[in-house]
Amino acid sequence: MLKNYFKIAIAVLKRRKFFTFISLFGISLTLTILMVATALADKMFNPGYPDYNQHRSLYVERIEIKNTKEGWVNMSNLSFYFFEHYVSRLKTVYKMAISSDQRSSNAYLNNKKLVIGYKYTNADYWNVLSYRFLEGKPYGEREIKSAERVAVISKKTKEAYFGDQKSVIGQYISADNINYRVIGVVDNVSGAVRNFAGDMYLPYTLAKDIKDTRLMGSYNAVLLGRTENDVPRMKKEFAQMVEKLPVPPDFNKIYCNADEFKTSVARRIAGDSTSNGITKVITVGGIFVLLFLLLPTMNLVNINITRIMERSSEIGVRKAFGASSKTLVYQFIVENLILTFIGGIIGVFLSLLVIYLINESDYISSFNLTMNLTVLFFSLITCFCFGLISGVYPAWRMSKLNIVKALKA
Amino acid sequence: MYKHLFKLIWNKRRQNFLFLSEILISFLVVFAVFSYLTYYYKNYIKPLGFDYNRVWSVSYNGDRLSKNADSLGIFYTNLNKALQAMPEIEAVSFSSSNYPYSSSFISTGLTQGGKKFNNISDFNVGNDYQKVWSVKLVDGRWFTPEDLISKNKGIVINETFSKELFGTAKAAGKLIGDFDDKNKFKIIGVVNDFKANGDFLLANNVMFSQLDTTNLKWASTLLIKVRETAGAGFESKLYKFMATTMRSAVEIQHVDEMRNAKNKETIIPMLLFIIVAGFLIINVALGLFGVLWYNINKRKGEIGLRRAIGASGVSVSTQMVLESLILATISVLIGCFFAVQFPLLNVFDIASSVYLIAILLSVLFIYTLVIACSLYPGRQAAAIHPAVALHED
Repeated sequence: MLKNYFKIAIAVLKRRKFFTFISLFGISLTLTILMVATALADKMFNPGYPDYNQHRSLYVERIEIKNTKEGWVNMSNLSFYFFEHYVSRLKTVYKMAISSDQRSSNAYLNNKKLVIGYKYTNADYWNVLSYRFLEGKPYGEREIKSAERVAVISKKTKEAYFGDQKSVIGQYISADNINYRVIGVVDNVSGAVRNFAGDMYLPYTLAKDIKDTRLMGSYNAVLLGRTENDVPRMKKEFAQMVEKLPVPPDFNKIYCNADEFKTSVARRIAGDSTSNGITKVITVGGIFVLLFLLLPTMNLVNINITRIMERSSEIGVRKAFGASSKTLVYQFIVENLILTFIGGIIGVFLSLLVIYLINESDYISSFNLTMNLTVLFFSLITCFCFGLISGVYPAWRMSKLNIVKALKA
Repeated sequence: MYKHLFKLIWNKRRQNFLFLSEILISFLVVFAVFSYLTYYYKNYIKPLGFDYNRVWSVSYNGDRLSKNADSLGIFYTNLNKALQAMPEIEAVSFSSSNYPYSSSFISTGLTQGGKKFNNISDFNVGNDYQKVWSVKLVDGRWFTPEDLISKNKGIVINETFSKELFGTAKAAGKLIGDFDDKNKFKIIGVVNDFKANGDFLLANNVMFSQLDTTNLKWASTLLIKVRETAGAGFESKLYKFMATTMRSAVEIQHVDEMRNAKNKETIIPMLLFIIVAGFLIINVALGLFGVLWYNINKRKGEIGLRRAIGASGVSVSTQMVLESLILATISVLIGCFFAVQFPLLNVFDIASSVYLIAILLSVLFIYTLVIACSLYPGRQAAAIHPAVALHED
């Protein structure tokens, strides 16, 4: 039966080449755009390297201090003191990676300027996050304690600063007129992974702002639990700790959240300290996708109706020989699904091309979009829905066709 | 004739319904695109009010400098002199961190005649700021060192803001209250509008005030206008000089590069939006073309009959094009009804003229699209030979 439908579908596709082209063009491009968008969203919510412990981590990056009477709000990253003094005492936190925001400094090499973005981190940063070391090793508690001027640099920095030397361990890199000894080189991190991207990583004891005892500062942290089950407990303990924080004068309320990764992204995009923004992201995203799909779907419905009406004599004959409306509707939906899947396959190839182009253009540094199974799975689902929606109405219209009229035409 | 066309359309209302809704949705998409583009274009053509070429910014951290206001003042004066003495430098000025394209924003409010004006960009600047950015004065004068000792602190505002405050009267010399109307500022000059947020974004009203000994510690940026001769060699020399003098991390940026980066933030989403919308429109155009073509093929008998009783080819193709135009008009009217709600309800804080231009452009665009898609099928209809068409039935 299905084999028969398949044969008919192919025959129909061959009959009117122009219509086939329009349908396939619309379907494949719509799906391409959706697939690339899914790949982007996937990258945003599952960035991968260097953060592979997402399932047992919580992310702390923002504090908001409010005066609810006057409506004053102060918002920023947190201070190193906050993490060292308050968060490190939490019992459920197994390890904590603290890092500063990215600051930039200039280096001048042979009359060429090089901008180096550097971050200060603690020693556990290297244990919580799985950076790939191409050579050398990270700095540990010993280097931190003695505030040694050592640096871990990225592959990109190595290439830009030292050229194509084989090993640079033990050499000196100068930033802000200070020489740091390179002790490790790590693989590049995509610029899209905001909190972990950097050109150079330095021990936090070299920073000048770690003594500041205010809550606001320029640091953020990843809290790692022992197991996945520790995460809710960690969250609870963190919230209790925030409740007890001393409120600065002139203010009356402190908000600070330890979020799972996906929540932290949603909060950054659409939320604020009191609402996590997940519903907003889903609603706005959903409405956008729906509106975007509406036009190609209507177009496809229009073309499908045209094509089906062209086949009215065939339908008339089948009806006259006793085919029920249900069978006919079923047949046309299957035919339409076949058409969408052909379009979908073209779409997959087109998206591979677009993704390749985006990666090549290097607009966001080291941004590696990939076409993984999740993206493919979502694409298949959209393909299916698209085919179903654009097939149902024309099929229903067709099944209502009057036999006598259809045969006469 | 039109009555007849309406009758034809009405008779096929069920088939036309989909056609109508497709054009309607396309109209709304096109309207969104044009509103977006018109908005940015209108901002883009407004003059900048300053010259960003050959301006460098040096950001530093002043934490390690003296906390004493007087010795800090002397330190800055000496630094200024040393920089002025460099042959590659044309002008130097200190500034708060919110200079043009810096992505840093400081705003304040002013009070005039009991009315509060909010969201005014507050630039804390040195005396030579005007020279660094080549800002043009419309009225009054720029700061001089003598202003520091006058009773009311002097400020310079932009032209549009001056008109909002005083209408056509001269603003220079007038007094104006600060955000809670406790102290008075004296307006000493008016400059051209200052589009500091980015070339595609709306210019805020601005207020320049002079850096004095009390707020000098908040200055964190040095703006330098260099001469043509300044290259990478000079930049590295300047960098070493600044890093040693400030005893802190220093970053030198070229403002023209910052401008490109800032504009990219607007251009990239805009390009993406245009690509997606463009693809939707091509999709719709092909669809319309196909459907019209098919409809005409189906009406061969009717057209053949018209031709047989003497209708010319031109009148047949005109009828086909007019039919689609009437359908388009119905959709466009419904679309306009929705589009007009945006300026009426003031959904986003955007001038109504933007929407009106966008509506006009979208109407034109939809008509062009429909005519383009129906011309060829119409011509084909005109070419139908009566004998062949009637023979088929």
